[in-house]
Amino acid sequence: MRMVFSCDHMNNTVATKRLSDAELNRPYVIETLDGPDVDCRRLLDLGFTPGEEVTIRTRTPLGDPLVVYLRGVLLALRRREASWILVH
Amino acid sequence: MPSATLTPAPTRELTVCLVGMPNAGKTTLMNAITGGNFKTANYAGVTVSLLRGRSRPEFGPVLQVTDLPGVHSNVNPSPEEAIACEVIEGRNPKVVADAFILVVDATQLERHLKFSGLVARQSKPLVIALTMTDLLPRAGLQVDVSKLQAALGLPVVAVDARTGEGVERLLDRVRTAGSQKSPLAELPSDPILAFGGVRRLLQSSGAVQRVAGSGPDPVTARIDRIVLDRWLAFPIFFAVLVGLFASIFWLAQPFMDFVDGSFVQLADLLKGISPDSLVVRFLADGIVAGLGAVAVFFPQILILFLLMSLLEDSGYLARGAAIVDRPLAALGLHGRSFVPMLSGFACAIPAVFAARSIPAKRERLLTIWILPLMSCSARLPVYGLLLTALIPGDAWKKGLAMGAIYVGSLLVGSITAGLASRILSKHRNPSILAMELPAYRKPRWKPIVRATWARGSSYLQRAAVPIIAVSAVLWVLSSFGPSGTLGIVETPMDQSFAARIGHTLEPALEPMGADWRVGVGLISAFAAREIFVSSMAIVFHVEGDDEETQQAGLLAAMRDATFADTGLPIFTTASIVGLVVFFFFSLQCFSTVAVVRKELGSTKLAALQLAFYTGLGYVLSVATVQGLRAIGIS
Repeated sequence: MRMVFSCDHMNNTVATKRLSDAELNRPYVIETLDGPDVDCRRLLDLGFTPGEEVTIRTRTPLGDPLVVYLRGVLLALRRREASWILVH
Repeated sequence: MPSATLTPAPTRELTVCLVGMPNAGKTTLMNAITGGNFKTANYAGVTVSLLRGRSRPEFGPVLQVTDLPGVHSNVNPSPEEAIACEVIEGRNPKVVADAFILVVDATQLERHLKFSGLVARQSKPLVIALTMTDLLPRAGLQVDVSKLQAALGLPVVAVDARTGEGVERLLDRVRTAGSQKSPLAELPSDPILAFGGVRRLLQSSGAVQRVAGSGPDPVTARIDRIVLDRWLAFPIFFAVLVGLFASIFWLAQPFMDFVDGSFVQLADLLKGISPDSLVVRFLADGIVAGLGAVAVFFPQILILFLLMSLLEDSGYLARGAAIVDRPLAALGLHGRSFVPMLSGFACAIPAVFAARSIPAKRERLLTIWILPLMSCSARLPVYGLLLTALIPGDAWKKGLAMGAIYVGSLLVGSITAGLASRILSKHRNPSILAMELPAYRKPRWKPIVRATWARGSSYLQRAAVPIIAVSAVLWVLSSFGPSGTLGIVETPMDQSFAARIGHTLEPALEPMGADWRVGVGLISAFAAREIFVSSMAIVFHVEGDDEETQQAGLLAAMRDATFADTGLPIFTTASIVGLVVFFFFSLQCFSTVAVVRKELGSTKLAALQLAFYTGLGYVLSVATVQGLRAIGIS
């Protein structure tokens, strides 16, 4: 089951991309989560909510997981999980 | 004259539960409140153990304190999260909270207060303990506690659990707290709305001021640039591992020798009292020797726990787990699996406990499944004996072989995990990593030493009973034999029940290139693997006052040992390699089986694991011996 959590004011003028494809050290705004239901609910509980700012700080040496900064905390996030987070 | 007014009515001690998200500093606070005097309490049917203790008397009237596991989310919860939610919602009959202390990381108010909704809705007295306030300047934040208190409608106490500052005040507030009406109770359960609500609450209160730029604190950012650097990350990681290994083996060695020596002396002392008494010999050779087998690993386990706590508290452990997550995830494991796997090289028992830090059930099960393959230190004396018999002389060749066994155990463990996860992947519900990397902090020794001692002694308590029981049974089996029709008499080892069992097993042992005496050694090794060496010395009638002469005598006896029927030597290249293979795979440790059964809450899985590895060890050992013989290596 997949679930989409959308942001109230979707900004259609900016290109949406998956967090897994996002550039390093650039702040992005979370637009929606698009992935397995249960996992997205957990990501939401962790603070990955639409409208929130998220930055990829670094990739670990093997390229996966990514280290992201969100709501004042650093989190290691697998690329698979990052790909469920749509940002602009 | 006794009077009702003179004796205070025995008031029931209040039960207070510490709740919060992982990494909020709950366990450190638990340490500060109880002075480290807490016990791990297990609850039937679940693998979770909660820390329970009583507050120190200097903090006023005593409170019963329970530290609940940290909760990220109540969606698809880990076993720990599930039990914490049960207690919070009052659904757990064993732990009924009279009040809650919500532990909140001051640098991450938003995330931690969002969780508070669940607790605040319970309409029970609730006090917020604000931790990590020392990290606020680094995070570029200022928090006004009184404004926060006013906005939340709850008592808020800043504590530094590492120095004990604020703890007394916190407990005072808990005793006087009523069930307040907090806007936190109004937070919706929908995470998006709840986060929004918390943010509005914090913004309107003006409790949080940002005084420096956003982003992670500069100290953490600087250390992460080195520790997670593309080229430096793995050298640093391996240096940490090597340091850990070196400490577990070399630093612990003198302590282990001391413990070992003490138990030998204690046994001798007992036998000195009355050498002919059966009871004394049972106590000395059965019970004391069994206790010694557990206690000898105690120094190693304490050092392991101490260093692991240091790494965890400093913030490095989570980075290590992140670095190795990719290969481990490919095997169906979790970044955090590296901690139990590493611990497994000391002893599988603390490793099984360490697997609790893996949040997802499937990954935890898989990690526990492969732990018996990690070359634990109980195998060291066995490999030491077998490799010396196999490669006499050059120490470096022996060292190389030993190294190969260690690396091999890691490789085989990985392959096993990979294969098992492919089989399990039919009902695959892979969990997510999303692991917090906490800010780096200088660890404090006192709480770490306390926690290490508490965890170490809990290991002793858990492991002691099964090991003593098994040692006692094995002692009886190897000291008594059948006599006459139904009688039982004390006999030498080679006429004992153990020898009988060995003889019965001989047809199965023969393809391994072993005779009944080796069989007795293998059976006794189920109490603890290193007992193989001492029981081999007994069955081969080796006398020696100290270990050196005993080992030399045993090696000589092994060289001369022949099969009774054919007169051919028993310990050949093929059969010794076969034994090494057997010890490599076989789960010869009933204590591990007992602990796994408890952790997984499943007798079936524990029995399956025992049968799987011991069966695999036997089959591969036979295959090795027969294969080597087939290519001309007897």
